Amino acid sequence: MAASTASRETRFPQWLGWLLPVAAIAALVALFLVFDPIGSLREVPPVEVVAVERTVLSEDQITLELRNDGPDPVTIAQVLVNEAYSSYEITDQTLGRLQTATLRVQYPWEEGLPLGFALITSTGVTVEHEIEAAALTPETDGSTIAIYALLGIYIGVIPVAIGLFWYPSLRRASKRWIGFFLAFTVGLLGFLLVDTVAEGFELAAATPAALDGLSLFALGAVGAVVGLAAFEQFLERRRHGSHSAKSGAASAISGLVLAYLIATGIGLHNLGEGLAVGASLAGGEIALGTFLILGFAIHNTTEGLAIVAPLGSEVKRPSLWHFVALGAVAGAPTILGAWAGGFAFAPAWAALAFGVAAGAIAQVVWQIVRGMSRDHGLASGLGALGLMAGLVFMYITGLLTA
Amino acid sequence: MGPIERSFARHRKSGGMDRRRFLRRLGATSALGGAAVLGGHEVLHGAGLLAHAQAQEQSGAQGGHGNNGHLGGTVGEVDNARNGFDPHEILTDFDGGEVSKDSSGRTVREYEFVTIDKEIEVAPGVFFPAWTYNGRVPGPTIRAIEGDRLRVKLVNASEHPHTIHFHGFHSASVDGIPGAGEALPGESFTYDFIAEPFGTHLYHCHSLPLVQHIHRGLYGAFIVDPKQGRPDAHEMVMVMNGFDTNFDGGNEVYALNTVAFAYSKKPIEINAGELQRAHVINVTEFDPLNSIHIHANFFNLYRTGTSLEPDEFTDTISMGQAERHMIEFTYDQPGNFIFHAHVTEFIDLGWLSAFEVV
Repeated sequence: MAASTASRETRFPQWLGWLLPVAAIAALVALFLVFDPIGSLREVPPVEVVAVERTVLSEDQITLELRNDGPDPVTIAQVLVNEAYSSYEITDQTLGRLQTATLRVQYPWEEGLPLGFALITSTGVTVEHEIEAAALTPETDGSTIAIYALLGIYIGVIPVAIGLFWYPSLRRASKRWIGFFLAFTVGLLGFLLVDTVAEGFELAAATPAALDGLSLFALGAVGAVVGLAAFEQFLERRRHGSHSAKSGAASAISGLVLAYLIATGIGLHNLGEGLAVGASLAGGEIALGTFLILGFAIHNTTEGLAIVAPLGSEVKRPSLWHFVALGAVAGAPTILGAWAGGFAFAPAWAALAFGVAAGAIAQVVWQIVRGMSRDHGLASGLGALGLMAGLVFMYITGLLTA
Repeated sequence: MGPIERSFARHRKSGGMDRRRFLRRLGATSALGGAAVLGGHEVLHGAGLLAHAQAQEQSGAQGGHGNNGHLGGTVGEVDNARNGFDPHEILTDFDGGEVSKDSSGRTVREYEFVTIDKEIEVAPGVFFPAWTYNGRVPGPTIRAIEGDRLRVKLVNASEHPHTIHFHGFHSASVDGIPGAGEALPGESFTYDFIAEPFGTHLYHCHSLPLVQHIHRGLYGAFIVDPKQGRPDAHEMVMVMNGFDTNFDGGNEVYALNTVAFAYSKKPIEINAGELQRAHVINVTEFDPLNSIHIHANFFNLYRTGTSLEPDEFTDTISMGQAERHMIEFTYDQPGNFIFHAHVTEFIDLGWLSAFEVV
């Protein structure tokens, strides 16, 4: 038997075995393209779907970024702005599947009033799009970039940094209270996880159907879980040498590594938060009120506490630059998010980013729970209280930004 | 977080509607339609000459004044040749039919109307799956003198049952409704009646569902002149219509004689000092009212065209569906004068026209 198998292998090289199915599917594709066997089934009306991915309002001019989101080509024939035919320019009159085009109309739009668009295709179908309150789209110049950066610093960097100052108190706290704050962190992250998943689903729904936002979200989430797990292994191996790597999976990770993981998860969440706020601002959806900024600031200060919570039980105080780095990892992405949201927002990318954030937070929650001692874990009285306190605190401070 | 939901609500709205399109069957019957308009048709009142002259003009030409850049409007030009009709020709295209006398000496006018399903361009690049009489929207303008006998043969070369229902006097058997003069696909029916009373009238399909059969393009002008005639004038037919291109129960395009902005992009040339007589007919579906207002002038209004004396002297008149009036006016000074619906939203959606007085 063994001899005959070996001889078969020599007659039939292994690489050919891998390639044969590939060649077969290629042949099938070619046959379909050439002979079109289901042609008679396709005599149905064209499905015309166009997504407006982005609008840019400048003085007396409106620019719409379009994407053909349907299976068939679409030809834009006329453009109605507020129920009136308007002259327009478009980079491509006919959009193939997933193709994008830029459409410009001259229109004396007014600040704060709604704008309605209807693009009429060659078959008379209308693609409708609405801007709830027209506002000048910020230009990508130095001052606007600075304003968005400042926004990120206010709602992301400063609050997280302030939260880090709970570290000295945490160090003096008893094991029971550190358990409480770790449970508090789990509650807080749990809240952010639900929030991030909900927003990710929203974005997935807003993503052009052909790009499948839900898959992008899932891809980001799974990628983040797997990636962070590998990252954590890498950090542990560096810390303890290769001998402990084998048992590393079973034992709890160090407080500092956990702090970095939490900071990473929170940072990815804040990237999404910055993205959402930046996009809303640029789209004229929200006004940049003092109350809104303060709301975010208070909401996010707790995130600093969450980062330092696992450091409370560490014997050795980490050096100061670790705190700077932790603050930067958690807070600075808000600035990047605000820029991306304000100047180059696309729901598809945002769905992917929110997926990454959700996966990261889930991974971090798992790490914290795994590392908590049995006596002072979530099931202990103070632990359960901490978990609930984290959730309730985030809910209440979240009301400030609603 | 609240803002994000508001932020993305707009993205959700922006998806196009994947509407079920109506099947379009093109061209199969155009040969029949062509035959119907051949032959010795009499053209009354000399209007045909002017129509002929205008047909000579380049359909897509844009004079310096004709370009309506400052008036807004659609982008591009409608291909009249592809449509098979030109709004500028329809304006003055009066069809007296094939004329003969019967044994009693009465004038008989014979017509053949062929219903054809046809895609027409109602605004540049926007195609509408129309149902037509003889391949045009509005259908041919029937013109007769009070007391003439009309014999209108309907040949149904389309996919649906159709009729011609005339506004005027006739017997129940030729009323042009389901059960009394409806022609099934591939069949025909002849409506035989006396043209009366004199006035500006209309005809339309009365098959069911009625909204579809009218709105898709099966209507036209039916003008009956009084026996004693009227003063010489430059006469025009203006059918106020609209098109619901996305079939959502509201019009995306409004027009005079089908093509949005046809007469503002290329104004109607008329002579200063010459009496103008317009037969204005409202067939607009979905909107309760349409109207006409002429700039820098007033007109004599003959309601339904059924009297020899004007009813009113005004510059604006509103009409419900199937209401129609005859209006007379004269421009003394040369220049461009716009006229339009004074249902203002219709202006922005195509019902804006202009006279170029020379």
